[in-house]
Amino acid sequence: MHVIVLVKQVPDVSNIPEDAWDREKGTLRRGLLDSVLNPLDLHALSFAKMLTAGDPDAKTIYLTMGPPQARDVLVDCLSRAPGEAVLLTDRAMGGADTPATAYSLAQGIRRIERELLGGSRDYLIVTGMQSVDGDTAQVPPQIAEDLGIDQIAYVQGVELTPKLKFRRIGATGIEDVIPATFPTLVTITACMDTLYSGFHASRAARKSNIHIWSAADVEAAPDRIGIKGSRTTVYRIFSPSEDRAKTCEMVTDPAQLVAKIKAKYRLATGGPAVHEEGAYALEGRTAMYHGPFWVLAESEGDDVKTVSLEILGKTRELAQFLGEKVGVVLPAASVSDELAASLIAHGADTVYAIEDPRLAEFNALRWKAAISALVLEHKPQVMLFGATPLGRELAPRIAYASDSGLTADCTKLEIGDFKANVAILKQTRPALGGNIMATIMTKDSPTQMATVRPGVFKIPPPDPTRKGEVVRIKPNLPDVPVSTVIPIESFTSKVSIRDAKILVSGGHGIRNRADFDRLLNPLAGGLTALLGDDAKVSASRHAVEDGFTTHDYQVGQTGQTVAPRLYMAIGISGAVQHISGMQMSDTVVAINKDPRARIFNYADFGIVGDLETVVPALTRAAQEAAR
Amino acid sequence: MIDIDILIVGAGPAGLAAAIQAKTAATAAGREISVVVIDKAPSAGSHVLSGAAFESACLDDLVPGWRTMRNSFTETMVPVERDEMLFLTGSKAITIPKKVVPSRMHHTGDVVISASRMTQFLSEQAEKAGVEVFHGTTARTLIVEDGVVRGVRLAELGLAADGSPKGNHVPVEEIRARVTILADGTHGTISTQYIERFGAGKGPQSFALGMKAIVQFQEASPFGNNRVVHTLGYPNKPSTFGGGFMYAMGEKTVAVGLILGLDWKTGDLDPQREFETWRAHPAIAAMLKGGIVVATGAKTIPEGGFFALPTLSAPGAMITGDGAGFVNLEKIKGLHYAIRTGMAAAETAVGALGADGAVGSLDGYRGRLEAAGVMAEMHHARNYRQVFKLGLYFGTPMSLVSSFLPGRLGMHTDGRATKVGARVRRADPGRMDGATFVSLTGTIHREDEPSHITIPNPDACIACERDYAAACTNFCPGDVYRWDGAKIVLSPSNCLHCMACSSKCPVANITWVAPEGGEGPHYKQL
Repeated sequence: MHVIVLVKQVPDVSNIPEDAWDREKGTLRRGLLDSVLNPLDLHALSFAKMLTAGDPDAKTIYLTMGPPQARDVLVDCLSRAPGEAVLLTDRAMGGADTPATAYSLAQGIRRIERELLGGSRDYLIVTGMQSVDGDTAQVPPQIAEDLGIDQIAYVQGVELTPKLKFRRIGATGIEDVIPATFPTLVTITACMDTLYSGFHASRAARKSNIHIWSAADVEAAPDRIGIKGSRTTVYRIFSPSEDRAKTCEMVTDPAQLVAKIKAKYRLATGGPAVHEEGAYALEGRTAMYHGPFWVLAESEGDDVKTVSLEILGKTRELAQFLGEKVGVVLPAASVSDELAASLIAHGADTVYAIEDPRLAEFNALRWKAAISALVLEHKPQVMLFGATPLGRELAPRIAYASDSGLTADCTKLEIGDFKANVAILKQTRPALGGNIMATIMTKDSPTQMATVRPGVFKIPPPDPTRKGEVVRIKPNLPDVPVSTVIPIESFTSKVSIRDAKILVSGGHGIRNRADFDRLLNPLAGGLTALLGDDAKVSASRHAVEDGFTTHDYQVGQTGQTVAPRLYMAIGISGAVQHISGMQMSDTVVAINKDPRARIFNYADFGIVGDLETVVPALTRAAQEAAR
Repeated sequence: MIDIDILIVGAGPAGLAAAIQAKTAATAAGREISVVVIDKAPSAGSHVLSGAAFESACLDDLVPGWRTMRNSFTETMVPVERDEMLFLTGSKAITIPKKVVPSRMHHTGDVVISASRMTQFLSEQAEKAGVEVFHGTTARTLIVEDGVVRGVRLAELGLAADGSPKGNHVPVEEIRARVTILADGTHGTISTQYIERFGAGKGPQSFALGMKAIVQFQEASPFGNNRVVHTLGYPNKPSTFGGGFMYAMGEKTVAVGLILGLDWKTGDLDPQREFETWRAHPAIAAMLKGGIVVATGAKTIPEGGFFALPTLSAPGAMITGDGAGFVNLEKIKGLHYAIRTGMAAAETAVGALGADGAVGSLDGYRGRLEAAGVMAEMHHARNYRQVFKLGLYFGTPMSLVSSFLPGRLGMHTDGRATKVGARVRRADPGRMDGATFVSLTGTIHREDEPSHITIPNPDACIACERDYAAACTNFCPGDVYRWDGAKIVLSPSNCLHCMACSSKCPVANITWVAPEGGEGPHYKQL
């Protein structure tokens, strides 16, 4: 089995020097950032080595696209594990967005298959789950779409015998996947030790021969590469608000604090701050795109997922500004009348129920075929997806198949002026690891497509009197070979701190592990009872270093980035690296004996006092209020 | 087969100057030589920290035309036009008249630079010249065979915390070269082994610790541009050697720092707290009003001076820069020596490389340093630091005439200077805490590797806690050490590679080895 490893050169976003910021323009001077191999691709390298180990005939080929200096990342790869390397480089390929990149790389893969693999189809394409600069995860599914092959996303392990079997994070839990055909594209999550580059291997790698191919060398059509082939354009780049400076309200009475937490929690939406946009009116202006606004809905049994309703509510609002209708697309084995009615009540004018027993389980190739046929027929001007595992895998394929631009992970959507008198959908998302915000617009596309982060928009109250139509569609599904999926573990049994709505986080102010458990677990229990959402215990770096808990529960720069609805910082001083991991939390409560602790600058409510007395008092107050 | 002519250990200013000059000298001689530089830092300049008011003339010799090149180094360079020295009391600042300050200590005409940025620039220049530069490569052992230096052995990679090899393990590798130039900086692992093997100086080496921060302003800073200020006095006790500095790095940026001789006597002195105390002084705070600290760092500075210089060359090797102790404490400057010594070592090496593979004597290195004026300047400042053993009030006037003192004044190692029961009892100035200081250095280490810091005899710590207030828990600017009531608990992933612990532990009970490559701080503009 051969392996083609896709890698990318990215700016080192983990370590941005202060003077690389242009605060006035809100942009980054990229020249002052180091260029490195996308850290998430390092896992793909380890994975490729594991796949080819023990097979002397197996070839490893590293492929990247970029400017001539992107050669450095190929040298880095070769110094970590031997192989061949291909650099796609051409001025005409510069400035590419995801479909233009995916097309160019797919053309490169075709030539690799022809020439370097002697026409063999017995290979895997392996890459990191996303790049740390773009964070879109769109290129891999679009390459798979171009090559007409399957993709297995978020793989974290492999068994080579008796049959190649990948363990991955699926939409509902951990599962094993046995691919049906080859080649298959596999994206890897952080799961294994990074390969080192030894000195002598590095030295040899620098002197090794690297294939350098231009657009013509891979027979790439000039209108499908670079800026010409791109379907999105960056309208504006700006800096996210520097410090979410809060005014901390100091409280002395634990019962009073519990009441305040409860009141604020009810209002909170969680996740990044909600952007309330002013209304937009055409008033004589024209819209750049025409047609209805569509949403892809995800269902869970007979319910619509929360994220789909959030997006539907926002879509309803945006469509009204332009006087357009709202359509909801829902693929399923069958769609009940109640489900369709609920979607109409939440804002749909038309529900397109694509019904087929083969759609009961998610399969990207089948779903794409069913949905893109509908998109090509009706040509909506906007189509939005949840940035869920399903949405992030499916949307890139639908966008690619319909030749539309796609923006990933939007946190803000608005109708605005593109230029004088022309209205367009402005799609804003964090980029470069959350260090900048970018507003993106779709160009040269039939449909403006985007995925939207869960938790960003509020669900408006449903209106049961709304009228709409339900269109039931029997899709014409292609006969695709289907990989075998074996469920291993459902997510409901294991909630990571990233998904928790309430976090009780302990730090250096707690003296030992026994105190950590004794103080925090009951408080988490009390808050769970009070607020009705499951509270989890997490920790600062110090607490993890002291062995109070494991690294899985660490919040901060070197741990997890979290955005719960309620974050309780217990005995945490508020070092920068910790703040960067929790400042997106909706409500922050800090308890610290030091009134000057930096954490209070980031808190909504604070209590100054000894943890030993304050925390148990707070726990009791929460328990009492919950009764 | 040895295919490396010159191996340089350390890609700081000294090592890269050696690399560039080796290529230049070889080209001038019509020869083709292979030059390899290795460094433990993750990328160029990320372990380099200096003030730095820089005497830039040496760069004209190393990289002719560098002043007209446009890059992040030259674009952030600021010429010094105003140069002041202040004496700080608890609440006031008294300007020391220019006439009293010896001319050698004037900085007008210098340029303020980021040493880290300069190193990035030199690294690019070296690679352009055909030098092979490898970052993330840690040298652990000097290879000496039959009295001849043959190269280095590297750290093995991919060990688990218990020392067992992980799946990605890379065994120890050897790099052999015809000539090895040591440039691994202050208290460098390889330089230390070389000095132990080939001979230390007549006087012991001692160190100072420099704490540095970059302060950024939204608007023009109250401090102003093109200005440098040095301070004496507060917060130091008269018995502590040291002083502060403030260097303008443009309209909106000021580099500030506090240098403390590591021979302070009090076990509870926390240099980061001293630094914060100094920054809180009304005169300093006024000049920094409205600024925020965006980057921090700490590093030791060898200050043994002329008499602490070790044997400069041995068969197959030479020692340069901070690793040898080439710092002029009168000027508090070492960068230009780093560059001069690197260049001299390179020229010596190229001259000694025979066409037949033989290597001649490297003893001409010292002569080249004399010709470059480095030795004379070092000799002039030979007793400057030593007189401060007498304390600030007697030491300061003595320092002005120290160059006339005959012979050599004594010094002993830093750890032993700590006095039983001596305490500074500094109040917390209530500013930046240790954790924030550490996080702004960008330091990072793999959490599951064997600790690169060890305490051979934990029992000795109990006496140290009683007598010296567990000094390491105070002197380490990285907050690596914590006293849990019975023993020292280590957080090696916080380490700033400053090397204070290698000389300041009162009971000489800390062993520091360079961790596997690519770890430690990420200095960008220090």
